[in-house]
Amino acid sequence: MEKAEYMEKAAQHIVDADEEAVEKLAREYLIEGFDPIEMIEKGLSEGIRKLGVLFDRGEIFLPHLIIASEAMTTAVKILEQAMPADQVGKKLAKVVIGTIEGDVHDIGKGIVATMLRVYGFEVFDLGRDVPIATFVEKAKEIGADVVGSSALMTTTMVGQKALEKALKDAGLRDNLITMLGGAATTEHWAAKIGANFWAESAGDTVMKLKEIFS
Amino acid sequence: MKKHLTRRGDGALIEMTSEEIMIALEAGTEDAADRGKIAPLSKDDLECLLDIFMDTNRVVSVAHGEEVVVTHDIGTLRLMGDQGNSGVGIPLSRLQGIQVHERAFCSDTMELGHIDYSFKPVKPVIAMEQQEMESALLSTIIPLFYGAMPNLGTYYSPDGPFGNPSDLLPAGKVKEAYEAQESAVEHATRDMVYVGQKLAQVGCDGINFDTTGAAGDADFKATLHAVEKLKKTTDLTVQVGMAGEFVLGMHGGLEYGGRRLAGLYCHDQVKLAEKAGADIFGPAVNTKPSKDMPWNLARAVTFVKACVEVSNIPVHVNMGMGVGGIPVFETPPIDAVSRASKAMVQIAKVDGL
Repeated sequence: MEKAEYMEKAAQHIVDADEEAVEKLAREYLIEGFDPIEMIEKGLSEGIRKLGVLFDRGEIFLPHLIIASEAMTTAVKILEQAMPADQVGKKLAKVVIGTIEGDVHDIGKGIVATMLRVYGFEVFDLGRDVPIATFVEKAKEIGADVVGSSALMTTTMVGQKALEKALKDAGLRDNLITMLGGAATTEHWAAKIGANFWAESAGDTVMKLKEIFS
Repeated sequence: MKKHLTRRGDGALIEMTSEEIMIALEAGTEDAADRGKIAPLSKDDLECLLDIFMDTNRVVSVAHGEEVVVTHDIGTLRLMGDQGNSGVGIPLSRLQGIQVHERAFCSDTMELGHIDYSFKPVKPVIAMEQQEMESALLSTIIPLFYGAMPNLGTYYSPDGPFGNPSDLLPAGKVKEAYEAQESAVEHATRDMVYVGQKLAQVGCDGINFDTTGAAGDADFKATLHAVEKLKKTTDLTVQVGMAGEFVLGMHGGLEYGGRRLAGLYCHDQVKLAEKAGADIFGPAVNTKPSKDMPWNLARAVTFVKACVEVSNIPVHVNMGMGVGGIPVFETPPIDAVSRASKAMVQIAKVDGL
């Protein structure tokens, strides 16, 4: 099989969330002696990109995305066996994410966390109703590159402002990026409280973070 | 080039030329047509929308004879709740709130709602809700609904007995997430039917399932089953109001009447609500804060128009903060609200707001 055909098939197996097929394909690809990094970047990642578009359009759903991300992980693990040690397990950035204190709405935040994992970010999902101090402690502990908070209610979005201040007080703010989202928030709100950016959807979050870290 | 005042999706006042407005209108309707696989607005419809945006009056309205039913959800929280709860913080009883809507606001219908506004927490206080409903019915003449959210989130941990799909799915526990949602459907259906039947006993005129589908396809499925059961066992009028223009696939495999629920847009949602026996359908189209109002309104009108065209029951579109082309802003500006409402009546041909 030509290399281009391998790329096409890898992308399609990811779109189909077919773990068995992508695993077999990755093994065959290595036997052929092709570059494993190229398959991750041009085959598997293309599949993930297509999935993102389909998810945004409501044509595939969350469980499919999860199963596809597992298929991606399996294929990457096989390809990593033939990669230089310094390239193995490489993540784009470390992201701490959670729904702000007082707010229990976390469906959207969960989708953002899942999409970021699928796209190669290391995500530390703190869950819902997360105290400000917990965001700060986790960011410090893992050396976060990004801290993201979600708020669905106008009563809880003020917590995002408190988070900005807490990160400054802890001396962390200058070394990381803050992003926020949730139905109650807007770009104007993000600018007003000094967050680095606001994201409208899971796809928007991925696109903006990829621009920064790729 | 003359500029016209309009809004961004987050409520900010902006200026656009008529050419810029038309470009945004065309892009908005195309986005809806592409996603929903429905017809875009016609040239005449787009020109009508352009006229609405170019009207120099701050508040616009429809002509005599084109008025539609105006009803309300969220109970009386709009008056009693604080600003963070979409209200104005006036200390009124719920009965007083209903009477204000009837006698001062001239609402066509009104609803009673619990402070938690979800069906599950109403269950343990149903006797109080029955008493309040009865008092309200005896001192008003407008049709009175009881309103609450199906809110399947209250059935998942930490608030309910089942695992939370938002935790289970990222952990790769797909089967467990499916099971949790399927169990929640059963329990939520039972609770909604129980609450509805109890309220019917005291003469409640109708029940409003508000923000249906907010927790995904399982939320929609539970509501459809509850509607079906209530229509068979009570004489309640049933309204199904949605949470968004498409049903989020948290499960992805759930069906009703042989149709997969995940990913359905307004024009398909209404057919299932109809099949379950609903009397009124309330589509909701979410506003994108990053886009301007012409884009958002053209998109919302396109989805709603397609819904009205196929519906055999009255369509009362959701209009308010962040829905129906109206900006995401706590107190939506009147110029935006009146323009969006006029467009829904004149172009989408809705039966009510």
